[in-house]
Parts: sequence; structure tokens; C-alpha cells
Amino acid sequence: MNFGFDGTQRSLGDTVARLLQSVPALTAPDLDPRQSDRVYEMLAECGLFALLVPESCGGTGLSLVDTALAVESLGGGLAPPAVIATLAATDAIVRHGHEGQRRELLPKIASGELRVAIALLEPGCGYDPHTMKSTIANGRLTGRKLLVPGAAEADLLLIVTGSGGKPTLALLDARSGGVATQVQESLDPTADFHEVVLKNVAVRPESLLGGASPERAVERLMDVSATLHAGMLMGIAAQMLHKTVEYAKIRVQFGQAIGAFQAIKHRCADMAVAVEAGQSAAYYAFWAIAEDSSDSPRAAAMAKSYCGEVARMVCNEAIQVHGGMGFTWELGLHRYLRRAKVLEHAFGEGAWHNERIVAATLAALIPETNRQWEVA
Amino acid sequence: MDFSYSPAETEFRTALRSWLADALPTGWGETVFEPKDEDERARFRLDWERKLHAGGWSGINWPRAYGGRGATLVERAIFAEEMARARAPEGLNIIVGHNLVGTTLLRHGTEAQKQRFLPKIISSEEVWCQGFSEPNAGSDLASVRTRAERRGDKFIVNGQKIWTSFAQYADWCIALVRTDPEVRKHAGLSFLLINMKTPGITIRPLRQISGESEFNEMFFDDVQVPAENIVGEVNGGWAIAMTTLAFERGPEDALGRQMRFKQELDELLTTLASLKRDGGHVIDDPIIRQKLAKSITEVEIMRLNALRSISRYLNGEDRGPDVSLMKLFWSHAAQRLYDTALEALGPLAPLWGSAATAGGRFQLSWLQSKAFTIYSGSSEIQRNIIGERMLGLPR
Repeated sequence: MNFGFDGTQRSLGDTVARLLQSVPALTAPDLDPRQSDRVYEMLAECGLFALLVPESCGGTGLSLVDTALAVESLGGGLAPPAVIATLAATDAIVRHGHEGQRRELLPKIASGELRVAIALLEPGCGYDPHTMKSTIANGRLTGRKLLVPGAAEADLLLIVTGSGGKPTLALLDARSGGVATQVQESLDPTADFHEVVLKNVAVRPESLLGGASPERAVERLMDVSATLHAGMLMGIAAQMLHKTVEYAKIRVQFGQAIGAFQAIKHRCADMAVAVEAGQSAAYYAFWAIAEDSSDSPRAAAMAKSYCGEVARMVCNEAIQVHGGMGFTWELGLHRYLRRAKVLEHAFGEGAWHNERIVAATLAALIPETNRQWEVA
Repeated sequence: MDFSYSPAETEFRTALRSWLADALPTGWGETVFEPKDEDERARFRLDWERKLHAGGWSGINWPRAYGGRGATLVERAIFAEEMARARAPEGLNIIVGHNLVGTTLLRHGTEAQKQRFLPKIISSEEVWCQGFSEPNAGSDLASVRTRAERRGDKFIVNGQKIWTSFAQYADWCIALVRTDPEVRKHAGLSFLLINMKTPGITIRPLRQISGESEFNEMFFDDVQVPAENIVGEVNGGWAIAMTTLAFERGPEDALGRQMRFKQELDELLTTLASLKRDGGHVIDDPIIRQKLAKSITEVEIMRLNALRSISRYLNGEDRGPDVSLMKLFWSHAAQRLYDTALEALGPLAPLWGSAATAGGRFQLSWLQSKAFTIYSGSSEIQRNIIGERMLGLPR
């Protein structure tokens, strides 16, 4: 039993954090979606996208738990969400891709040659992959996908859709005929969201993931993405706590640093408690999904719901403690606030995951009446 | 990161679990419960502790030299989990005697003190209480006024202590006393071991908001304490009291509590699954489910926080403000859990005792939970500790 990270895992987190710090534009106040173009290449050069790829496919062969602190650094450094989309897609291909996909795609993902965007949300739908309106019929995919990070730059699209009434995953060339992407305005333009319209896009059977059990591939992608988002959210929360504490040490009012006032000190302490608790939930989820622990769907749901709440609370408090400065464009706290909000709403917001937490808990606690609580 | 247990640890767990199955009465926790009368319950808990000791399950991670089992910190955590899983009776001497006095003496006691006191703490032959707080020294603990004056080979103690749990059953007391009123308040304190049978000690029970009288006030009137019963140096008591508090808030304590909160939460979920209201089951109410999800998550995080702290110590870090983070989290999360419990019980939540749903356990726990954010350092004190010692904010 050891709920801690080893030296390699910590140094991976530090490396990613330092690399992102070397790109000031990433956290600059202005909302330029192109400011992060170079970042993807830099992260590829340092080997980030090889981490989850098995050694037999040209990767490092690490597990998701090894990447937890690196993902946290991606969050705190405001790396574009497209980066973790590629990581989640890598896991999907490693776990549920067929031999051809693994052999052909994984080496190119590892080197940074291929980028993958994940398309989940649709107009008029929630987060449940079972309820998507887009479908594959007669080998053709039609539908509309919203809030897809990095779709314009992506080489591949990993699309959560339906086939024969069941959720499935299609991995398509982003430049296939019938695919049209368009930038979407959002709270966080630097997240680089796109709308993706799919009109009679040809889907060959070998473009699907999950083989005989596509539902499991979809569930896994949802859990992995939720966990990666939880990690990113904790990176933001830790960064906001740090900035707030440093500000409270130097900002003087009434003749003393405001951090000496309990009204401020106690807010900071509550932020620290929230960060500690959120990290506990996030790190455990990383371990649970890496090890395929039987409680991993519940652990991922807990992490996503709880870390979303923590990041929201910590960002709100950070701006409050910074006072008027916190509300200015120039200080740039709004970048973290905006990013935390869009991450909070990706791959299930709190209420959606809360329902999954209760359903899973009841199913384990009272198995005989299990069916009564199954999520619709 | 690894949540699996070694073969030796698993063996420890299996052995303990099977011992517990034999040692606890048949139907324990389902049809057989602790006595309702407080004095009977205290005797029952003490008997249980002595049974644990006879079975070799006392002083789990204490050195064998003082009668302990010499187990690892992970095994200590497993012990807390298994005891709570079996709903084993809470000890009478465990919280103060074992967790506070024992751990403090192990760090700061003289060899003679360790030899004299530790074996009888482990065997629960001697029950301890904690004389720290006073009417005018609560959160401001360093302001204690109870005086200890050196006369010959004795200290003469005069003053008053308050909120002393189990004083009515205690044989010994750890007391924070003022030995020098002239110096800065933190620098004039000493840490004494006082025999509760000494003439001049008066104990008066205090009634709590739950109606129970677990804690007391104590009066010291020319109480003679042998000079060798000081822990550490004269006027060096503050640092020692801080050790005691670090253990009071530690992960061993938090894990045991977590398992009990988890049992209450499971009991709540089971209760709500069969509780009908307005033609449906309460458990299907989506608003209640949202609140339950939060408590389910928070009770899980209590466990994870404690395991993270234990892992820090295993990896060579010392106890620090992390115990304040842990205590602040579990105390408020537990209060939210019981608020949610009563909210879910709905219109009949005001019923008490056997007339209430689940025998009134949630109502009693709800009242008891109000103490969590006050005792062993109020939330405000924990926030000061976190702000100043962990975040480095100015005093």
C-alpha cells in the first residue's frame, strides 16, 4: 500500500510544467487560440504522446497513473484540451483497437505525427453515449458534433456515435469526405472548440473500435477522459491556490499583508483543503483506471464531479482574494476561470456523474435490487 | 502508487478478521449492541479492550519492548479498518490512553516512564484522560492557568480543566500546566502525568447537546504530583502538547472514523432504499440522490486523504499540517453527511429514539457531529495552522 508517486512520476510532472512555463503566451491574458500551436510539437518532442504507447509500438509503455502529475501540469499550464484528447484516444486504441490500428497508428501518435480529436457532444443531447442522435447506417455516419477541441488541426477524429441502437466508437480520417469543421465561439476560445458536421461519411468496419464489445470501448473512453479532465482541473486549482497565497503575502491593506487577516487566511486554508481532497479523488481515479480496478467507473465519476466542484470553488475564491485586480483582464486569472469552466462541463458535469456515483454505490450495496437503479 | 497489500499484510488482516469473528458476541451489530446506559457502556468498552489485549491485538504498531505488537503503520491502518468493519466497540482508553498518551510517551517520555506506563496503557489496566482545555484556554490553549508549583520533590497543582472526556473512569491524566507565569505564555508550560486518585481532584460531569455526559470538568485543589511525573523539561510542555495533538488528528484516528462514517452512510442508503414516501422510494428522489452522491464521494475521500498521509510517513516525511487538512476535511464532511441524512428522512426526521427511522441513530449522530468541528482543535485553529505553517501566510 503506497498512495504516493515515485521519482519518475514526479519528474515527469515537473518536466511538463517547466516546458509549459517556457511558453508565456499559454497563460497570457489575451484569448488567442493560435498561441498554443507550438505547444503540441514541444510536448511531442519531450515524449508526452509516447508515454501510453506500448514499447512494441514505439512508445514508452507507461500506465495512466504514471501520467497523473504530468496531466496535472498540463492543466495548471493551460495546455490546450486537444492534448489530453490525444492521450485518451491513445488509451482507447491501445485497449480496444484492432491489430491494424495499433500497428499503423500508435507509432505515429507516439512521435506526434498524428493528432486525435474526440467528438462526443451533440445538440439536444446530454452526456450519455447511449442517447446520441448521430448514427452509422449502411456504412455511413451522419450527425453533428459540438465543442470538439482541436478538430481543425486533428488528423483523426474519434467519434462517439451509435450503430444498431448501441453506442460505438469510430476512428476516422479527419479529412474524409463529408466532414466539415468550423470554429465555435466559447467561454474559452483558447480551448479551440469546433463544430464537426458529418454528412454521409464512409465508415468501414475496420474503422470501428472495440471489436465485439464496442460499448466497453465507449465506457472506457468516458472514464479515462473524465479522469484526465479531473487531473487537469486539479492542476488549475493548485495553480490558483498558489497564485492566491503569493498575492495574499504581498498585498498590503490596513498596514499589513492581507494574508494575516483571518478572513483571507481561512479562505486560503479552505482552498488548500479542497485541493488536497480533490487530488486524493483524482489520483485514486488514475490508479483505478490504470489497474482496471472494479470500482474504476465510480472512481472516475467521483473524481470528475468532485474536482469540477473544487476547481470552481478555488477559482472563485482566487478572484475574490485578488479583489479588483482579480477582475481585470490584464492579471489573467480569467484564463484559469474560463478553462476550469469548460473542463468542468466536458465528459460529464457534476450532476451527471453524481447520478452515476449513486447508481454504482447502490448496485454494489444492495445487489438484489440492482436493476431498480440502473441509469436510463 | 499501489493499493494492494503484501502477503504479510493480508495475513495480518485475515488473522484479525477471524479473531474478531470469534471474539465478538453472536449477532453483534445486528441484534446485539452496546449497553445503552453510559456507565455500563464504559465498563463494556473497557472489558472489550482487555479482551483485545489478551488476544494480542493491543498496541499494534508499538515496540515489542513495551508490550506492543511491533506492527507496521500499514498494519495499524488495517487494524483501524477491520475494527470498524466489524463494528467492534469503540475503546474507552484507545483515544486518549493509546493514541495520545502512549504515542507522546514513546516520543518524549523517559525510559522509566515508558517502562512504568506503557504496558498498563496497552493492557488498559490504567485508563487515561486529557487535561488540556480550561474555561479560559480553549482555542488559545497556551493561556492555561492551572498552576503547578515546585515544592521539594513535588509539584503542587491548583486550577480547573474542562471538556475532559472519560475523567470519571480515568486512573491517570495528562495535564498541561503553568510552571512559570512570568515568561511568554508558550514558554511557561509543563506536561505532567497526574494520578487521578490523588487527594484534591474533583470531577463534575457536563451534559452535552446529545444529552450524554461523556465529558467533565475537573478541579485541582493542592494536588501533589511527584516531580518525576513531568514529561520533558520544566517549561518545555508546549512542544510536547503539540506532539499529542498531531497524533490526536492523525490518519490512524481518521481511518477508524472513516470506516464508521461509511457504515452509517451504507445504513442510510439501505434505509432510504426501503423507505416509502408519496408512493415511491425516497432513494429515487433525484434531489436527495445529488446530495447522497456528495456524501458518498466525501466519505471515500476521507479514506484516501488518510492513506495519502500514511504514505507520506512511510516515504519518510514527518507529521505536519497535513493532519490539519485531514481533520478539517472529515469533520465538515461528516456534518454534511448527517445534515443530508436528516434531510432525506424528511417529514419524520424530528422523531427521536425508537419511534424514529432506524431507531433514531441518525438523529443522535447528527447531534454528536456538532462536536467534530470543535474538539481536538476547532476548525478556525486548523485553518490558522494550515494558513501559517503550510501556506506560509503571515501571523
